[in-house]
Amino acid sequence: MARHRRVAGHPGVLTGTVLDASPHILTICRADRVERLTLPPSTRVWKGVQAHPTTLIAGDRVVVRLDTAQRGVADRIWANIGRVTGVILERGGDSILVDSGNPGERQVIVIQKGAESRIQVRFPRLEPGYLIDVIGLRRGGVIEGLVPATSQPAYRASQVPRPRQLRRHASSVLDGSATWHEPVDRPDDAEGIAYPMLDPETGGGEQPAPGPGCERMPYLSVGSLLEVRNECTGLSRVLTVTGCGAMARLFCDRCVTCGTSPRGRVADLTLASFVALGGELERGCFNATIAVGR
Amino acid sequence: MTTHALAQLVNDIREVQAPVLAAMLIGACAAKFSRVVRAGSLDAGLGPTELFPLPLRRPAAVTVCAIELAMGLALVVTASPAARDGTGALDGAAADGARIAATAFFLVAMCALIELRGRRPDAGCGCFGDLSRRPVGVRSIARSALLAVAALASIGGPGLRLPPPGPGAALLLGILCIEFLVIALLSPEAGEALVRLGYSEPCELRNVPASRTLSALRRSPQWSRQASVIVGDAPADMWRELCWRYVVYPGRLTGADADVVFAVQVKQRRPVIHSAVIPREKPGAASARSEDASPAAHGAAAPADGATGQTVKASVPPEVGRVSAMPISKTL
Repeated sequence: MARHRRVAGHPGVLTGTVLDASPHILTICRADRVERLTLPPSTRVWKGVQAHPTTLIAGDRVVVRLDTAQRGVADRIWANIGRVTGVILERGGDSILVDSGNPGERQVIVIQKGAESRIQVRFPRLEPGYLIDVIGLRRGGVIEGLVPATSQPAYRASQVPRPRQLRRHASSVLDGSATWHEPVDRPDDAEGIAYPMLDPETGGGEQPAPGPGCERMPYLSVGSLLEVRNECTGLSRVLTVTGCGAMARLFCDRCVTCGTSPRGRVADLTLASFVALGGELERGCFNATIAVGR
Repeated sequence: MTTHALAQLVNDIREVQAPVLAAMLIGACAAKFSRVVRAGSLDAGLGPTELFPLPLRRPAAVTVCAIELAMGLALVVTASPAARDGTGALDGAAADGARIAATAFFLVAMCALIELRGRRPDAGCGCFGDLSRRPVGVRSIARSALLAVAALASIGGPGLRLPPPGPGAALLLGILCIEFLVIALLSPEAGEALVRLGYSEPCELRNVPASRTLSALRRSPQWSRQASVIVGDAPADMWRELCWRYVVYPGRLTGADADVVFAVQVKQRRPVIHSAVIPREKPGAASARSEDASPAAHGAAAPADGATGQTVKASVPPEVGRVSAMPISKTL
């Protein structure tokens, strides 16, 4: 296990829109200011595939992880990345309508011919009622699916296997998989965590999925604090529960970023929190430990 | 044992088959119905219906459940001597008809389970709803075969009579117990049912309605003590952390705004309740009227990590922390 190292101060993550990109300098427009970042040769860029910084163009929506050793230097950049996680509602040709668990929110994912075989190997049932979790490039309100984030569960979303019953008190420290999502109605750099087991009586606006889900986890509420540690990097942060991980509880999968996680999804982090903890967005998850009430 | 005694024993065994089969059929139907009610959908079916194409699964599940209920009721209604002998409202052939139908049903069920085991070795039989989640094994198939034999043996058998108290009644009761024991040994569901009967969910996993929390709070002495401070009828905030639900009411303390915080244990009966009053000008400061703890015991004055400011942790009696082993992390 990596040594525990707590991140202090700024998480070192910037989000914004590219104003100008040259081979060595990236200028991005953030909500409150314009930021210029140096791009050394070691900077890695993802834009559907691993790419060179010169592929970035004005208007690209980027997530940047800064180099912790040097100020104003980009270490990792993801451009236009998006993710669709949810239950398939409709399929028409190459586009799929997905219910992502947020009330009234529907996402559309388009799977082009070039990525179809790669996705269908892991998601063979692209039919209504089945689960989908795909990472791709966001183009407005539509995501072009490129990378499967996990393997498709064999069951339908309405038939999630019942978790085994716990005879003892649930542990306050849970090992499992941490995934990421794009914040809805909040800025891209918002920190937070969507927790899969919110108290249904005081859970806030989102409706948790029915049933206990894949994992037995203790009940919490929006506003509770959790310490999340990335077991692959050793970084940890205390994050506030900001929403209900309604979809996370339906996936009984495992994360294999560094070994196999002992549980399924225990946390669904916002994009910025995931990156701040050293996660690689295109991989979809990292092995995590969450501690309740720290 | 004489030939007459042996014939009497066989007769007794045949006599009890109808109620045993009826109990199994009605029990299976009830378990399936309970699963559908809990899942809120007929799509939650299990077992051989998985062999059908998706559009046919729902009607297949409904049909199986209806047949089980109808046959169970028919076996009960035709089990009496009057119905069996045709001296009552029913013709004697009705009893044999119900028993023949039950034989056919259990034979078909046995074949379906063999087919399911071959084609979907991971699927449970679904015979008793949620209890039948384990993959179909030899025991489940043997149980269907046993019930088919029992139904076959009951055809042409006598009606069920209440024996006079004595050895006859004890023998009939013994036969019933032995048969149910054999069925239980052949049922993977029996172990699961016993586990569930003795199972109590840990408090942090238990879902208790907020209305129950509030009604328990209103009946508590803590509520009476703080009633003079509380100025609103509805809680200003309510949240859950593990084994505790926290309820905040607006209050007035010595002319200043305050928050009255109750920590109510998530428990069906007689929950432990703690309370504290926090002046709003000094959020997170120790209560002026904390009911249960000395200020020194509050100890946990350090805010929870994460830089979200002062937390309620500092103002809630230490019993909360000890019982749940967790500090309150949500900011007030």
